[in-house]
Amino acid sequence: MNLRAIGCNAASAAVGLRERLAFDPAKRARALAEVPGRFAAEAVVLDTCNRVELYLARADGDAPAHAPAVAEFLAEVHGVPAADVFPHLYEHADADAVRHVFRVAAGLDSVVVGETQVGGQVKEAFEAAQTAGATGPLLNALFPAALRTAKRVRAETRVGDGHVSVSSAAVDFLRPVFDTFSDKTVLVIGAGEMGRLALNHIRELGPARVLVANRSPERGAAAAAEYGGQLVPWDQLDDALARADIVLSTTGAAEPVVSERRFAEKVRPRRGGRALVVFDLAVPRDFAPELHDGDRVSVFNVDDLTRVADRAAAERRRHVPAAEAIVGAEVGRFVLDWNRRKDGPLIGQLTAEVDRVREAVLGQLLGKLKGKLAAGELEQVEGAFRLFQNKLLHGPIAALQEASRSGHGGTLREALMKLFGLKG
Amino acid sequence: MTVSPLQGITTACFGLSYLCAFLLELARYTRPGAVWRWAGVGFGAAGLAAHTLYLALHPPAPAAAYGALLLLAWVLALVYLYGTVHYADRAWAVFVLPVVIALVGLSLALAGTGATDPDLGLPGWLSGDRFWGVVHGTLILLAAGGVSVGFLTSVMYLVQARRLRAKVNPGAVVPLLSLERLEAWNRTAVNLAFPLLTAGLLVGTFLLRPAHDLGDNWLSLKVVSSAGLWLVFPVLTYLRYATGVPPRRLALLTVAAFALTLVALAAAHPFAGGGQ
Repeated sequence: MNLRAIGCNAASAAVGLRERLAFDPAKRARALAEVPGRFAAEAVVLDTCNRVELYLARADGDAPAHAPAVAEFLAEVHGVPAADVFPHLYEHADADAVRHVFRVAAGLDSVVVGETQVGGQVKEAFEAAQTAGATGPLLNALFPAALRTAKRVRAETRVGDGHVSVSSAAVDFLRPVFDTFSDKTVLVIGAGEMGRLALNHIRELGPARVLVANRSPERGAAAAAEYGGQLVPWDQLDDALARADIVLSTTGAAEPVVSERRFAEKVRPRRGGRALVVFDLAVPRDFAPELHDGDRVSVFNVDDLTRVADRAAAERRRHVPAAEAIVGAEVGRFVLDWNRRKDGPLIGQLTAEVDRVREAVLGQLLGKLKGKLAAGELEQVEGAFRLFQNKLLHGPIAALQEASRSGHGGTLREALMKLFGLKG
Repeated sequence: MTVSPLQGITTACFGLSYLCAFLLELARYTRPGAVWRWAGVGFGAAGLAAHTLYLALHPPAPAAAYGALLLLAWVLALVYLYGTVHYADRAWAVFVLPVVIALVGLSLALAGTGATDPDLGLPGWLSGDRFWGVVHGTLILLAAGGVSVGFLTSVMYLVQARRLRAKVNPGAVVPLLSLERLEAWNRTAVNLAFPLLTAGLLVGTFLLRPAHDLGDNWLSLKVVSSAGLWLVFPVLTYLRYATGVPPRRLALLTVAAFALTLVALAAAHPFAGGGQ
């Protein structure tokens, strides 16, 4: 197997360099058109927010490329000095490269362990390379195997469970309260970044409408336009609170915006007993914590969401060893299968070659012994030659299979080809 | 004469099946795995089948505590199986099965007390005064089923609300149905149980009573607890729709209504033979 995974990720290169090495569609098309010819190899270009990698494979011969050559190529495509790129590149070879792509697809090499988005990005990169005609037998086998491994990891471990970001953890607190979201109103107070991120996750639940309230009408209008929501004048905040089911509050106010008294007098009587969930993401807090009763009004602050996210991340980490074990088993299986595919024809050729020699020698011998041996004796001679051949080939074939299993069959394969005059 | 093996089904058969289903459900939360769930559902379904056959082959007297509780347990076993299949990822069986098991246990404990009905066959039950007895019993049983579902959803609501109040990490606990769903179920169950109970009590009071000499039994535990239960419903309805009482308090009141239901079902019937 001549496989190389060469690139950089969040651990090896700063975001600035990764940004400069990012492949837009045009650059990726150029790379997929150039790389197969330049390195005489199959190629896949994987570009995510956390990594830029080239997967290069050759069925035979030497390694398709090493990190310096890939650094040169990346430098040319992106107009970055190769010297700036090379120190940040890693290079994984053969079985290690297989393990790398399997781990990447399963989200085990991601900054947020267990994230599932990267699996889709790996699939997309592979399909783009296939469409461009840049893949061949090895990568056509490797990437589907990586995606199967990722699927198995997700199905058999809980490494992808739970919300691990503070903004997404809000969703975890909504499900115990609400059953359906298509009739719910989300009110965003303020225009903080955390509120925007949380809203992105809540919007995936499909709420009926989004209201936006802001002290500054200009900023409020901008936020309403960005969120696809309806602007509510600041002096109608109580009305909006009475209509809302979910509130995201991220103002920069020094004092609570909604006190216990204000809520009791101006909001609660108009809510008709409906449940309200408030995510108070502001520091200092916008909502009086005394409003929280876990029944009609639930108020969660940044610390509550952080606790949920931290626990989910810890829970994911707990399942990493099981996920790594699955990856290890799948890597072993892939390498073995690939080498069997590769060794099969060689072993067949070797056996046929020795068969040919045996039959020639045996033919000569039997010609000289013609009429001197009984039929049973002739069979014994033929059997002895066959046994000798089997014993002779058993050692080399077993050694080749063993070397292939450990991913180092290349040298032995070449030696056998030279020794027995095979063409490979 | 040959005796069908089905005749050998006893309350212990389905009581133990429900117990096994409950234990397997608990095991599912300590050692996650599909095998626990399906084994639990299997035991639960087997228990329900045995329970159904038992009721068909040995129909108990609904007026007696034994029969009433066993029939109510059967209704709740249906609710259990529906919920556990429909809400596979939610803690459902762990709430419903203990009630089913407790009702079966209570019915066994009270077996032999109260009325025993003669085996009249369907035509006998549907003729004359007994017809209204069947109508009365069926309405009360359905109302009791409604109250029981209201009770179960109330308990789940209280647990869910308590978790939210304590801000328990949702990922760290067994998920329950949402407050919204539980409240809707509770409201529907209570709204259905109230007219059923009213109709059942009216049938009992105006159509059955004249045929019996009630005497001092107006103050029997069954009559008093049934009247108390009936009074809870208008209070619940008023609090739910006319005031801003938090659902948590309504849930507590529904739990009290269930306690009254149990007393009413377990108490000796003043009309039926053998009542004290």
